[in-house]
Amino acid sequence: MVNLEEKKLNLLCVPSNIVGIKNPYKGLRNISLAGYKNILLDFSLCCTSGELERIGRKKAAEEKTDRLKIFENPEKMNEAMLPLLEQCKIQGIHTPAAYAPYLPRDTKHADLNGLLLHLAKESIKLCGLARCKNLVVRPLFAGIAPADIWECNKAFYLELAKLAKEQDVRILLENQCKDINGHLVRGICAMAEEAVDWVDRLNEAAGEERFGFCVDVGVCSLCGQNMYDFIIGLGDRLKAVIMRDCNGNQESAMLPFTSVYRGESQTDWLNLIRGLREIGFDGELIMDIRDTAAAFSHLLRPEILRLSKKIADFLKWQIEIETRLKKYSSRVLFGAGNMCRNYMKCYGEKYPPFYTCDNDKSVWGTEFCGVMVKNPESLKELPEDCAIFICNIYYCEIREQLLEMGIDNPIEYFNDEYMPSFYFDRLEMKEMKSEE
Amino acid sequence: MLKTGVQTKGVINDETPKKGFELLKRAGFTCVDFSLNGYLTNRMLYEDARNDFFSQSVAELEDFFRRHKTAAKETGIMIHQMHMPYPMYVLRGSRELNEYLWNVVTPKSMRLCAFFECPYIVVHGFKLSHFLGSEELEWRETERFLDSIAPLARELGITICIENLYTSIGGHLVEGPCCNGRKAAERIDRFNERHQAEVLGFCFDTGHANLVGIDMEDFIRTLGARLKVLHIHDNDGIADLHQLPFTFTKTRENKTSTDWDGFMRGLRGIHFDQVLSFETAPVLDSFPGEMREEVLGFIARIGEYFAGKVEAP
Repeated sequence: MVNLEEKKLNLLCVPSNIVGIKNPYKGLRNISLAGYKNILLDFSLCCTSGELERIGRKKAAEEKTDRLKIFENPEKMNEAMLPLLEQCKIQGIHTPAAYAPYLPRDTKHADLNGLLLHLAKESIKLCGLARCKNLVVRPLFAGIAPADIWECNKAFYLELAKLAKEQDVRILLENQCKDINGHLVRGICAMAEEAVDWVDRLNEAAGEERFGFCVDVGVCSLCGQNMYDFIIGLGDRLKAVIMRDCNGNQESAMLPFTSVYRGESQTDWLNLIRGLREIGFDGELIMDIRDTAAAFSHLLRPEILRLSKKIADFLKWQIEIETRLKKYSSRVLFGAGNMCRNYMKCYGEKYPPFYTCDNDKSVWGTEFCGVMVKNPESLKELPEDCAIFICNIYYCEIREQLLEMGIDNPIEYFNDEYMPSFYFDRLEMKEMKSEE
Repeated sequence: MLKTGVQTKGVINDETPKKGFELLKRAGFTCVDFSLNGYLTNRMLYEDARNDFFSQSVAELEDFFRRHKTAAKETGIMIHQMHMPYPMYVLRGSRELNEYLWNVVTPKSMRLCAFFECPYIVVHGFKLSHFLGSEELEWRETERFLDSIAPLARELGITICIENLYTSIGGHLVEGPCCNGRKAAERIDRFNERHQAEVLGFCFDTGHANLVGIDMEDFIRTLGARLKVLHIHDNDGIADLHQLPFTFTKTRENKTSTDWDGFMRGLRGIHFDQVLSFETAPVLDSFPGEMREEVLGFIARIGEYFAGKVEAP
């Protein structure tokens, strides 16, 4: 059993296009200054998919480079990653998750599965060294007949499981795209049923919970999937989520909320948040903005990283809304408007508030969506463990008001932007039913 | 050989339907997908409007379509499937409109289906998951609608077919109702068991599947004999273009970017014995009118190619 030191949602930054593998100081410093405490230990930094794809090509063989050719000597991965690992230690940056080298989705190589196994093993060893508990290892696919995919991968993953156990590393499978002549469609473990089946069968064969799952949001988006269904299907097998934006047609890793069309996001953040919130996700939230980072001038990169951290905090806050509601034995609301209405619709039954309060005197003593509206002064009589959930976007102002009133109960912010459901006129449907 | 069919939209007109059926026959088709949805369009419904076409009595509607039916019979073309107007529930549409769709348009469409001696009618599931919060809850509403019309389907001896649909998020087309083959198969079985008849089947739309990256072979194999109807058409994986199969490529090798091999393997795997029906009416708009017959002939030829691959020993 993997023994995670603490069970909470970690925010990680993918270092690709931000951190230089030989001189990682500046990139890591920028990540750290942005507020990140963790990075993804991305082993493809020292052995890229492009390098793997160029294996055997004459031009590649002639290429003069001072980069270590890890694909020729996988055991040198340690040497290649050492500057990064040391700098992480110096700057106090942790690596709770890692990613093993992988082939491009449209690879022409059908002969590298042995090398991929070797690289994955070296990745596990390095994870052990870096005390990294989760390693994403993509399934093998190149050159394998569809009917043999499971058997080949079963052997592959179970081979890794032995070493993973020794190093106390959990192996995470990941949802894949399949390349149909340039069109990316659902591939291995892209459907929750298959993903669950694979993880459960591997764990059963390993005799312990050695395997989990990592959802790549970009892949879900490219495959037009309903992420709520996918995440709910995975349940607690889900240990990591790679957050990246794209336009749904081309594979890229952009800052979340930046791929937009006519003012609307092209990634289904609503269903993603709905799903993660419902399962109480508390794993690794990995921000992959490598394409956005590369596209911006390096002079602006620190600002982009700061924004990415703000976005990560926002996503974490949204995901953990129900966890925070659950945390307290009792609660009251502040605000008697739409946000309170939405609270009562979606959470009122599960987490009933004692009452709500509002600064508008005219509503004191009235009932709103089944709760009594009171004068904020009533909050002074709350039991000390009762939390106040502010249901109004003037969070800071209301918080200040509460503090000025001398209230020292826990103060939390509720938000209704990504609700489990929304109002629409369903009364009509109910009426139609009664008339049938 | 497997039969081939195509939409009547853009080919059959109400004044001289026989001309259209003869054109289809010459092109090589033996079946059609009757575009009943053309008489009450989705564009109109989304604007919370409607015409009075379906306000006519069933007898009047049958009278209206009698010449179509006769023409099809005389030409030797079978009306294998038809498309009910859609959507059947307009989100935020008026109560009057939604009641009209449910209580008037739906039963009359089904009676017309029986009138045409057409075994399958395709309906769209409700698109409500954004509001209800999950596809499961969305399906419950669709199922409630289907439950209400299943007794009529049974009485008329027709099968209602649900179709894999898409929805849009910021212009990006993502999966909508009925995009999970396993769930669809289970739901169809449960439904038919409950109604003690094969009143529910599936319509697999290749274009919609391509838009949301569905593994066609796996989906078709999972459906098996529940698959009754096809909507065959192609797109670029981005927009619902309803173009000819093999049209779109994405790399310099110029190989098709739609998984037609998977589609054919799937049909072959389940011994598909229904109609290879094309939903390619927009192709007739993109080609010059003078080429209509050749274009239809080419679509039929693609159908023959598919049939050859699906039925190869």
